[in-house]
Amino acid sequence: MKITAFTQLITVLAVTAWVFLLPVSAVATILVLELALLLYIKHDRLTMAAIGALTVFTGMMILLQLLFGSPLKVSLAGGLRMFVMTTAFLCLLAATKIQDIAQALVEKFHLPCEYAFMLTTALRFVPDFLTDSATTLDAQSCRGYSNRGNIFKRLYAYLAVVKPLVMRAVAKSDTLALSMELKGFGANTYQNMCPQKLGVADYMVLLIVIVLSAYPLWSKYL
Amino acid sequence: MIEAKAVNFAYHRGEPVLNDISCKIEDGEFVALLGHNGSGKTTLSRLFMALLHPRSGDVFVDGNNIADLEPADLAHQVGYVFQNPDLQILEDTVFEEVAYGPRCKNKSETKVKEQVGSALAAMGLAELYEAYPRTLSFGQKRRLGVAAALALNPQTLILDEITNGQDEQEKNNMMAYLEKLNQEKGITIILITHDMNIARQYTNRALVLHNGDLVFDGATATLYDGKSELNEWGLTQPIVATLSATFGVEAQNAEEFCEKLHLKEGVVQ
Amino acid sequence: MSEAVIKFEKFYYGYINGNVVLHDVNLQISKGSFTVISGPSGAGKTTLCKSMVGIIPYYYGGRYAGDVEVLGETTKGKRVSDLSMRVGLMLDDYESQLVSLTAGEEVAFGLLNHGFAPEEVATRIKQALADVGLPGRENYQLDELSGGQRQRLLLASVLAVHPEVLVLDEPVSAMDPDGAHALYKLLYKIYQEYHMTVIVVEHNINFLLPYATNMIVMNKGKVAAQGTFEEAAAIAYEMPELRQNLPELWQVKLALENRFGIALGAWRNEEDALKELQEKFVGGGL
Repeated sequence: MKITAFTQLITVLAVTAWVFLLPVSAVATILVLELALLLYIKHDRLTMAAIGALTVFTGMMILLQLLFGSPLKVSLAGGLRMFVMTTAFLCLLAATKIQDIAQALVEKFHLPCEYAFMLTTALRFVPDFLTDSATTLDAQSCRGYSNRGNIFKRLYAYLAVVKPLVMRAVAKSDTLALSMELKGFGANTYQNMCPQKLGVADYMVLLIVIVLSAYPLWSKYL
Repeated sequence: MIEAKAVNFAYHRGEPVLNDISCKIEDGEFVALLGHNGSGKTTLSRLFMALLHPRSGDVFVDGNNIADLEPADLAHQVGYVFQNPDLQILEDTVFEEVAYGPRCKNKSETKVKEQVGSALAAMGLAELYEAYPRTLSFGQKRRLGVAAALALNPQTLILDEITNGQDEQEKNNMMAYLEKLNQEKGITIILITHDMNIARQYTNRALVLHNGDLVFDGATATLYDGKSELNEWGLTQPIVATLSATFGVEAQNAEEFCEKLHLKEGVVQ
Repeated sequence: MSEAVIKFEKFYYGYINGNVVLHDVNLQISKGSFTVISGPSGAGKTTLCKSMVGIIPYYYGGRYAGDVEVLGETTKGKRVSDLSMRVGLMLDDYESQLVSLTAGEEVAFGLLNHGFAPEEVATRIKQALADVGLPGRENYQLDELSGGQRQRLLLASVLAVHPEVLVLDEPVSAMDPDGAHALYKLLYKIYQEYHMTVIVVEHNINFLLPYATNMIVMNKGKVAAQGTFEEAAAIAYEMPELRQNLPELWQVKLALENRFGIALGAWRNEEDALKELQEKFVGGGL
């Protein structure tokens, strides 16, 4: 069953709205479904690490709310909502290629092509920048910057790498922009790609989404 | 002095990259570290700098085993210059850039100025101390990388492809500075390079790696005398070396070679 | 005489906030030639390459005078993306010229932008990848390709639009000698198979000795020498600062020709040179 990026985007947006409309029990159910879906699509180390990081972050958010005097129930509900929303995006990224997401954004949501292309570009260059930053960290080390010490010291070392990386990014983006100009990037780019047609599965999912989104209406009558 | 004893290395769960390497580099030598792509020469140089640690075997710097050390601990003994100068620029002016090392070691400001001044002068960059590093030419950036490593007064410099991508003038310029450092200040230079001409002209000792094995460790002159198995090791004989060996003369460059040739009898002019 | 595919007439150029980098450039590239552009760093070689697709002066702005003609038409008023359909350009930072996430998409990019039909695009992708020695790798992610393979991918994406001219700016500066030889061998094969005109900026002319038909030597923004490889090498030899950039074999040849007043062959490889030298010369002191 294949659904297009458009449908997936609509679903994710709907889920984001649902966390505020539906009662907590429903939101918790959604979370369980999402995690199951995510692990079904991709259960590699990276995905587990991402879920783990999100859990930690949610925990910190809940603690922060408690510290600021919110009652426990509210804090937990807030944390749950955030977790569900972000997991929805994780599912989207795991299930679809970013190029398809970009295409859907341009075709159906009428995002200007330059912004949509930023998504692909980011993904394209992140691995390169990570490798480059490794070299810069090594260079720092070879000049006498000690990596020993606690995690804060090491995080601080990463900060010092940001400036050279940003400079490099600016220089690279110059060549990249030139390259895209040479290749004729523009409104045509997305128009000429094979359009993503909505299939039966898409319509089914969209229908379910619409029905569920109308919950506030039909909950009154039940 | 840098020494490797029976060093073996492989990345994570990968194929072995270095097999049982043993060698000793004394102070003041000018060494070429040669090998085809993937032979392990860059890996070996990283082991010398504690950027990597061997699977088995030991690496010693000045007699101390560096197994528990990190590169920052060795920075005042060994300087490492990476291939891409842009990735090593950390600060906004040439002065700050070269001062980075001494400042990490908490030297007094006067000492820092002294060390920076001396390093910049040694690499011909003294007038550029206020310049923004990214406005420098490629050759100047490369020299800046060396100056930054020199600022900590290391005994040894390890240089990864320092002349790659430059024209002849710049290459000779850089090598002239390095030669001066080696001859006047006694600094050991380990040059990782693909350029056989440079290796032949400037170094006195060569280490050749082939598929992770150390296949040659001796005088550079012997390596290029036309009898060694350079081709088997994935390297090519520099043209002037082949010409010189064929005609039984000694020449460092094309001009010298030509001066030693004479017309055979009977050849029409 | 072959028609000129690229012509510079009294061309001057200065970047917006900089000095004039090209002075009174007059040159012609003939159809079907394999031209090496050499010269010291900062001579203006990259600027020259960019002028061949209209990036300079029209994309970057700046001050200019004179005219550049590509395939019979001036570059003035033309869109850079249209010119690049006929003159493919590969810059030395090839990493930053790769824009997509997979090999197939990279090759398709330029084609899609110019409105080629999907079936045509698929055929061209297949052909281009096969031509550069990466057959069937349409779905490979960029990070699954090595540096050399990525460069060949860029070449494939440039070839897919079937340009008549290929311009490469220092394509092997970051490579080891084996990789460099392999790339140039591939380039020569494509040059012959598709009857293209090729222009390569390269410091180390040794790599191109077997292939180059013509040479242009730049120095300080001016054309110091141009013509067939033999002609240009002889002119460059007369200038001491340019002499050292010539291949050693030719430094030897021209030195010996000057000294003994004889003519030696136009050697394109070591074997030929050694053979002739051994026939005519003997070594040793006097």
